[in-house]
Amino acid sequence: MSCCISTMVSGAIALAFLPLVLTFIIRYRYYFVLFYRAVLVRMWYDCTTGLSREERAFQYVLTHAIPGDPESILETFDLWCSKVEFISNIGPKKGKIMDRILSEHCPLTVLELGSHCGYSTVRIARALPLGARLYSVEMDAINAAIAEKIIRLAGFDDDTLIVSPSDEVIPRLRADYGLERLDFVFMDHWKKCYRPDLQALEGSGLLGKGSVVLADNVLFPGAPNFLRHVRKSGLYEWKIHRATLEYSKGIRDGMAELVYQGIK
Amino acid sequence: RAKEKERKKERDRKRRRNVARRASSARKEGKELEDRPGREERRGRKKRDKEGKGKGGEDERQEEVKNDTVAKTLKNFSNENTRKLEQKEIEVVGEEDGDTEEKRKNGRSEKGGKREDNGRGETVEKKQKKKRVETSAEHESSEEEEDEEEKVGEEKPEVLSPEELEKLKEEVDERKKLISTLRGKPWPMRKKLLTLRESHEFVEKYEGALGKGKSRKLYAYKVMMLKKWMKFQRDFENFKTACVPWEMKIKEIESHFGSSVASYFIFLRWMYGINMILFGLTFGLVMVPEALMGRPYGSMPRKTVPRADEANAMDFAVLWDFGGYAQYSVLFYGYYNSQRAIGWLKFRMPLSYFLVGVGTVAYSYMVVIRTMARNANEDGGGDNNSFNFSWKMFTSWDYLIGNPETADNKFASITTSFKEAILEEQESRKDDNIHLTRFLRVLANFLVLCCLAGSGYLIYFVVRRSQKFALEGLESHSWWERNEVNMVMSLLGMFCPMLFDVISALENYHPRIALQWQLGRIFALFLGNLYTFIIALMDEINLKREEEEVLKLNMTIWEASLYNGTLGVNSTAPPITVHPADIPRGPCWETMVGQEFVRLIVSDTMTTYITLLIGDFLRAVLVRFLNYCWCWDLEAGFPSYSEFDVSGNVLGLIFNQGMIWMGAFYAPCLPALNVLRLHVSMYLQCWAVMCCNVPQERVFKASGSNNFYMAMLLVILFLSTLPAIYTIVTIPPSFDCGPFSGKSRMFDVIQETLESDFPAWFGKVFSYASNPGLVLPFLLLMVLAIYYLQSTSKSYKQANLELKKKLQTQNEENKKKTKMAALKAAMDLEEAQKAWSEAPRQQRNNNASQQSYTGEKNTVTGHLVSSFVFVWYLKI
Repeated sequence: MSCCISTMVSGAIALAFLPLVLTFIIRYRYYFVLFYRAVLVRMWYDCTTGLSREERAFQYVLTHAIPGDPESILETFDLWCSKVEFISNIGPKKGKIMDRILSEHCPLTVLELGSHCGYSTVRIARALPLGARLYSVEMDAINAAIAEKIIRLAGFDDDTLIVSPSDEVIPRLRADYGLERLDFVFMDHWKKCYRPDLQALEGSGLLGKGSVVLADNVLFPGAPNFLRHVRKSGLYEWKIHRATLEYSKGIRDGMAELVYQGIK
Repeated sequence: RAKEKERKKERDRKRRRNVARRASSARKEGKELEDRPGREERRGRKKRDKEGKGKGGEDERQEEVKNDTVAKTLKNFSNENTRKLEQKEIEVVGEEDGDTEEKRKNGRSEKGGKREDNGRGETVEKKQKKKRVETSAEHESSEEEEDEEEKVGEEKPEVLSPEELEKLKEEVDERKKLISTLRGKPWPMRKKLLTLRESHEFVEKYEGALGKGKSRKLYAYKVMMLKKWMKFQRDFENFKTACVPWEMKIKEIESHFGSSVASYFIFLRWMYGINMILFGLTFGLVMVPEALMGRPYGSMPRKTVPRADEANAMDFAVLWDFGGYAQYSVLFYGYYNSQRAIGWLKFRMPLSYFLVGVGTVAYSYMVVIRTMARNANEDGGGDNNSFNFSWKMFTSWDYLIGNPETADNKFASITTSFKEAILEEQESRKDDNIHLTRFLRVLANFLVLCCLAGSGYLIYFVVRRSQKFALEGLESHSWWERNEVNMVMSLLGMFCPMLFDVISALENYHPRIALQWQLGRIFALFLGNLYTFIIALMDEINLKREEEEVLKLNMTIWEASLYNGTLGVNSTAPPITVHPADIPRGPCWETMVGQEFVRLIVSDTMTTYITLLIGDFLRAVLVRFLNYCWCWDLEAGFPSYSEFDVSGNVLGLIFNQGMIWMGAFYAPCLPALNVLRLHVSMYLQCWAVMCCNVPQERVFKASGSNNFYMAMLLVILFLSTLPAIYTIVTIPPSFDCGPFSGKSRMFDVIQETLESDFPAWFGKVFSYASNPGLVLPFLLLMVLAIYYLQSTSKSYKQANLELKKKLQTQNEENKKKTKMAALKAAMDLEEAQKAWSEAPRQQRNNNASQQSYTGEKNTVTGHLVSSFVFVWYLKI
């Protein structure tokens, strides 16, 4: 069989495919790097240390950061994510955009969907004005525990976390937490949940005129349904802040900033 | 007064009655009027003018027409009368009224002319107005007086009075003006359309009413004909646009993808036109005559499939390879007979074959060069760097875009280009990174060169191997091995440009420049491939010729054996007839070359279409429909939709054309094949672009690229005619196939024609003319002429540039002057204000010192201003 194939496709023809292979490797090098860092390295460390990725990150932060200083914690996180392993936090570049948006709007009630390790929670909490309240929703209990530790380490209140899937939390927000209106919603959980969650938020009536919804990673990995819904519904003034994926230079990504306008 | 009114009414009625009678004779007399000298016409117009205003003018006219020669004096007289004493004038008029009969006799012709003019509409109206301005003020005043008088005594007529007519005419004029200026009005479209329709209706309804009686009918007829003519012209224009093939498709693509993609399709269409003509030439003058009038299939060895191949000559695989029956047909060189004249038309087949071969190339040269020259005229000289930001500001929008997505892209690209330009400006002042950029550019070129060398070596290797295979016999090898050369060439031609594209990202050029670099690189790649192919072909030609020599020897032996074997002693017996399929024949290298080219074209076309279907269509389908159930965004992320690859497509087209030019001499079917290919690819690519591609992220205008394509086409044309001419001139044609068999060189056919078909003196003249002593000076003269023309055009360009510069400086000068004037005016104003404000104070205080201080201050300001202007000037 092998001889058959070798006679069928001669070496010269196979060599003619070399430019194609090179093209693919060069053009998509960032994706290969990302694959290596996010999947292969993680699997290797998982096997060798026996800890989960989040736990490793927490250990690193705990040993390297100054407790009570959110700035230092964020920096340590960034360092770990860019040098050691990859965790899809919001990252420093997009984080700056988020800080700017937060300082522009000065929201008082903030909902965060998907806190993961607590990086973005700390980032938001740091930028909030006095008297503001932040609710952070995380589905995975282990991650939530780590996020709580991180938040505590940064010196913020630890009762912000809601450990539950986002689609269950949103309808109960008004009843359980006594919320009347959300000024700012940050989405960074499962990309597939963006649209249903947004629709749930619209349905719950928590979004008022001027409420801001910020969704991360709308271009890569991407949330096409979410964007389609936003475009079609006509409820929002929206724009996409173009940036690159966190801790990576060549992969383009964006954050969608929606300002709720209500039904006209 | 009352009496006067009565009289006037009566006169009016009489006149109206007369008018009908007069109108009937107007036609005849109008002509007469035209012959009259201008003086009278002028007067007539003046009169008409007055009549237009009312009946006051009418009075005067009637008075005037009594006698043509004394009309002027009479008129003046009447004017004076009116000014001095109204009553008297009226009496005069009354007297005139009495003898209307006489007046009518004299003035009939004039009135007829007037009526006609009246009907003629707005143009005359304008003339009248112009005339009116010319008339003296004295006349005007008198006329006005008369008008006033008339208005008092006006009564409603039953039919259209001249005044109403006038009003109507004015209104019609107004509507017409509205129609012509409607386009520029800042109204919504719906209102425009409504107004347009209404005005058209109005004009149509009342325009006819302006004429009277028979002339009115004629006028209506005229207007109708004019309208019909205009409509016809418009329809004809539309028809002409509709006749331009694929115009609508290209426009649609242009609106979606910008002009750079459209430029490819326009180029494709242009190419199609050229190929149609090439096809017409070869088909009409070579293929059809041979098929109709030449000897039929099977009559001689070159027109018969050899016995060994007969069994599978009709197999699809063989036909697809252009062997078997396809090889022994009009499609290839070898089928043609060397018979000097064929059919009842005495068609000179070999001569025609040769001339068509030369003519197609000559025609292509002519067209390409002419198009280049025409395009070159469009871009006048000048530097593009001087007003970079102004250019970007005012000219970067592509007004043909009609698709919101493309418009968004264009918008984004303009903003980025602004950002980049600003950055560039900043960087050009810093220029610390220039070494890195240079290094990257050099590196990119080095990589590309490596890639080119690698691909060249690969093709060389493959060609060598295929020759080895050919020597061993093709039957023992698989299909892959037999088609290795074509496959490798196509694959390299497909994938290497992608690699170049990736490499060119290093260089960070503007997309237009990047496109040109990309084009140049792919050009080099294709050229290398093509020339490797040609060199391999040359080797093969030499092999075939050796084979031919051997065969020629064998042929004589075979013939001898044939005769010896069958015939005994008697040599007077009729010659034996052997079936043409059994006669041994030479390898016919020309047909082989033609076949190679045709195969190359076919495989190239197939690769292009398959790439299109898989690379674009399949990908688009997958991206579109897998996107519903995929973990990342396929549309915006990794595979995405493909962009239209302008450079690759253009070069594919150009090289394809080069191969046609090269191979058309040996395979007359090539232009036909190419026309087919271009036709199909026009539709296929239009469809593929519209359904599977997305607009480029950086849409840019392709204003200058057309000439770039043309220049490449010219180079390719030159490079492809080189080998063709080389083979024609140096290699003797095969002895037993093709129109030139039996001759030592192909161009001997010209010699032959001159000797046998033209009178002797012509041959002599030609031989003198082709004498090197005559040809060389002629060539020299041509070179000199070209040099002269080139230098003059260069000097013109220089002059143009100088003029441009002059204009610029003049502009700046003017600006400066106006600025100075403005400053001066401002200063004067200030001074005046000061003087005004200080004057009372001075009066009050009478303080001399203050005055001197003011003067001083003013002079100081003047100095300041002048120095400022001077500094400003220096800066510029």
